[in-house]
Amino acid sequence: METKQAESELSVIKKIMEDSRRINIDNGIHYIFWGILVTVALLINYIMILTKTSMNYIGLMWLILMVTGMFIDIFIGRNQERKSRVKTFTGKLLGSLWFATSISMFMFGFVGSVLKAYNPVFICPIISTVLGISYFTSGAIQQLKWLQNISLGWWAGAVILFIFPSVHTLLIFGIMMICFQIIPGIILYKKSNEETVVSEL
Amino acid sequence: MNFDYQEIDDVIHSRIRTSIMALLVSLEEAEFNFIKEKVNATDGNLSVHLKKLEEAGYVSVKKLFVDRKPVSKYKVSNKGYKAFENYIKQLESIVKKNN
Repeated sequence: METKQAESELSVIKKIMEDSRRINIDNGIHYIFWGILVTVALLINYIMILTKTSMNYIGLMWLILMVTGMFIDIFIGRNQERKSRVKTFTGKLLGSLWFATSISMFMFGFVGSVLKAYNPVFICPIISTVLGISYFTSGAIQQLKWLQNISLGWWAGAVILFIFPSVHTLLIFGIMMICFQIIPGIILYKKSNEETVVSEL
Repeated sequence: MNFDYQEIDDVIHSRIRTSIMALLVSLEEAEFNFIKEKVNATDGNLSVHLKKLEEAGYVSVKKLFVDRKPVSKYKVSNKGYKAFENYIKQLESIVKKNN
């Protein structure tokens, strides 16, 4: 084999591997699904507080919605995996990241508050901080700077919610969910659809 | 300067099979049609080359039905990873020897 041929082979391999790394694996469905579900739960929670419903019922409402959401999400995930044309290591990494995030949120949202480790009003800023970490990492893994920058929104929101704790924390967190979770999810979904159309042309 | 051809892995040493291996080592798993689009091959041509890689134990195939349509998903085996790594090393040593 000649040197030029070897160089050419290496550059082809390098190009293919670089292109493969750019394959979009996140179609935003999970962001949209959880964004809507949590926003709805926050609104219900807000109304329940205004109507002075017992904390036990609020906890139960969260537990029912989150567990139902988890089962629906597993179903969506399995369906997507079965239909996906490609499985990437990046996808696996993202899956692990969001799984770990869910466990952490469960710890802070349920375990910590049930054990009265802190005032429940601080659940939102704590979850917001966790989401900041996950968005920052997720954006870095996918090499999406804009997604990484969303974490700044989560962290800034967490600071505000830590400084001004009130019943309106739930509404502010709901707005943050729409801005930093649902909208990025829609952007990822549109981007993923555009890429699918291009690859099918 | 030339390189000893006997040291080159014949199974990988073909433009299309090198491309398939480069694609599959960067992914965990890929569907037949996806590979076809990425390496610009025809169905028949790709099948032949994938078969060759499969026979060498470099890739494994999983056949399943998605929405009643048959789908073949390919992934690189451990043996395939090692072979591809060696192939890259061989190419790099050729380049190094001459620079």
